[in-house]
Amino acid sequence: MAMLRKLTPYLFVAPLMIFITVFTYIPILASLNLSFREWNFLSPDMPFVGLRNYEQLLSSRELWNSLWVTTLFAILSVPLRLGLALVIANYLIRESVHSRLLRGALFLPSVTSTVSIAVVFSWVFSTDYGMVNAILGMLGLGKVQWLQDPHLALWVLIFVNTWKQLGYDIVIYIAGLQAIPQELYDAASIDGCRRLHVFRRVTLPLVMPATYFLLVISVIEAFQVFTIVNVMTRGGPAGATDMLVNLLYEIGFVLFDIGRGSALAVMLFVLLVALAILKSRIIGRKVHYEA
Amino acid sequence: MSRKLHSTIAVSIVALFASVGVAEAATTVKFWHSFNKSSGQALDKIVQNFEAANPDIDVEAEFIGNYNDIIAKLQAAIPARRAPDAVILEVTRYGLFANNNILTDLTPYFDADPLKADLYEYAQEVGVISGKNYIVPFNSSTPVLYFNKDIFERAGLSADTPLKTFDEILTATKTISEKLGSEGISGIAAPGQFARWGLVMANDSELVDPKSGEIMLDKPNTIEAYQWMASLVHDNKVASPDGVTDEDNGRDAFLARKVGIMFNSTGNYGEAKKAIGDNLVVRAMPCNKACSVPIGGAGIGIMATSSKEVQDAAYKFVSYAASPEANAIWFAATGYLPINKKSGGLPVAKEALATQPGIDVAIDSLPNAHGRARTTVVTWMRTTEYKMWQAMALGQQKVDETMKDFAEQTRAEEKRVSN
Repeated sequence: MAMLRKLTPYLFVAPLMIFITVFTYIPILASLNLSFREWNFLSPDMPFVGLRNYEQLLSSRELWNSLWVTTLFAILSVPLRLGLALVIANYLIRESVHSRLLRGALFLPSVTSTVSIAVVFSWVFSTDYGMVNAILGMLGLGKVQWLQDPHLALWVLIFVNTWKQLGYDIVIYIAGLQAIPQELYDAASIDGCRRLHVFRRVTLPLVMPATYFLLVISVIEAFQVFTIVNVMTRGGPAGATDMLVNLLYEIGFVLFDIGRGSALAVMLFVLLVALAILKSRIIGRKVHYEA
Repeated sequence: MSRKLHSTIAVSIVALFASVGVAEAATTVKFWHSFNKSSGQALDKIVQNFEAANPDIDVEAEFIGNYNDIIAKLQAAIPARRAPDAVILEVTRYGLFANNNILTDLTPYFDADPLKADLYEYAQEVGVISGKNYIVPFNSSTPVLYFNKDIFERAGLSADTPLKTFDEILTATKTISEKLGSEGISGIAAPGQFARWGLVMANDSELVDPKSGEIMLDKPNTIEAYQWMASLVHDNKVASPDGVTDEDNGRDAFLARKVGIMFNSTGNYGEAKKAIGDNLVVRAMPCNKACSVPIGGAGIGIMATSSKEVQDAAYKFVSYAASPEANAIWFAATGYLPINKKSGGLPVAKEALATQPGIDVAIDSLPNAHGRARTTVVTWMRTTEYKMWQAMALGQQKVDETMKDFAEQTRAEEKRVSN
């Protein structure tokens, strides 16, 4: 009986542990194993090739281009997402029918199929038949090659990704803002603080847990962005939006080089872990969970 | 009453077991393909006709997606042991499966099949790697030149406008863009990869030599062809850049009557005819320096993992799909090339030839049609070519430098995969 009592908690967590082991840890280990081998899904043998896959990746210009493009995407999109979300959340925190409707409307893209969003925006930003250029045309402006200009294409992807993710970020920020005690604002008001000063000295530090959470999530998402890229630009034009996961897909599922694809997956994993540690060291210490 | 009821139940039970027995006796062939819409309907008809003639074989045909989708899903399905028994594979990309013993060597079946003698020479050759036959062609194609007669007339061009050389085509496209550009009509659709390959061949060159495997991406005629193709988009602005980043956009714009000329597979004839109607005109690909077109399309391969009984049943279907009856239905419905010499003589094909002007253009191109290289590096080259083409067509990189660099990269990749 005592034994059963000791085992009970383990039995409760066992289903989840089995699920995580089968669908997360085993694939990670399998991927690590495959990264040292040569395989194309089909051949019965998987010869061990040591670090050759890593060497070939590190000496390829595609990897460095993808790393640069993905980093640029993250650097540009994450602050934009978080900044916009905080400003909008600050506005929508007031309880009214109007703000509830807006919250729902802004959250809608988060629960909409990414493929559908990407297909629709492909048409919206089409050079010759797109809505954006049609509006520009009505204003007497020329056509813009939104998805064909290597500099603009990345911005279009940032815009679409922000539009899709913004609602989720706003909901998290609203929850964070609602957790800030009203007394602090009252005290600041009595002290004669201006709104900007209150925002900087009260809101911003106390919403840091939400910011930190969103930063971690959005950086990971930025480095793993795939669907929008694959549907809207396929990494083009000429590699200008060839993000890391798109390259991984191409190597693994178009060129069938599972060894190199796995090596890239492992490198991406290490990069994300390193970034998480870095964020924890730099920003994590500044996060206050108590008001 | 009770006796009658018992008799009825007994008869029903016997009938039920008998039907189950018949169902169990049928051999099921799982077949993955890439045809939907009107071509999917034509394939369904072929499958139904086959099953009617072979009641002991049940073909479970399933639309998977385009050629790339099929390859990606097949690769995932093989290690998971969920692969089909027969599958459509694109003619330059089945080598990977053949070289890994995934596909059955069909040589014994094919050599013993009287069908073989009825197939056109190109159709006999297209499934062969190192002397072994791995696929039997089903939907073969060449690129052709489509144009919209109505757009030509509105631009002041006759339907007989010469379109044999690059210069003649450029002149026509410039006229269309100048006259009808204000209506949102472009002269030409940016050529897709199959058409680009064809235009390189029309300039008396190749991407990869099909016989020797030599990389020919940096040959002067190849570079010249790419310079002309890129100039359509960037310098002359007669093709929309939308078709550069997604080649389906170019085809869709042509079908929407927003483009004057399009190079595309003859397999698009059915859809184009439906969209453009009597204004659709089909011409052979240009002969700028040579009259030569690539053979595209796909063939059906049989998986080595299927049982002998299923392989035999699958080959029966493969053979039927290439028979004159099936091939005539397919040709008439889609515009894909006839692969069987006897198909053209059947009433279905005769009617198509008589009533669908232009459907015979690809057939007339057959003497100039050539198989393409299918070495392992071709898959890499085709994947990378999209990026190179975008860089050149959108004016981000110079064509000659890009093609020389591309050739070097392809040679390096060839060396890497051969090690």
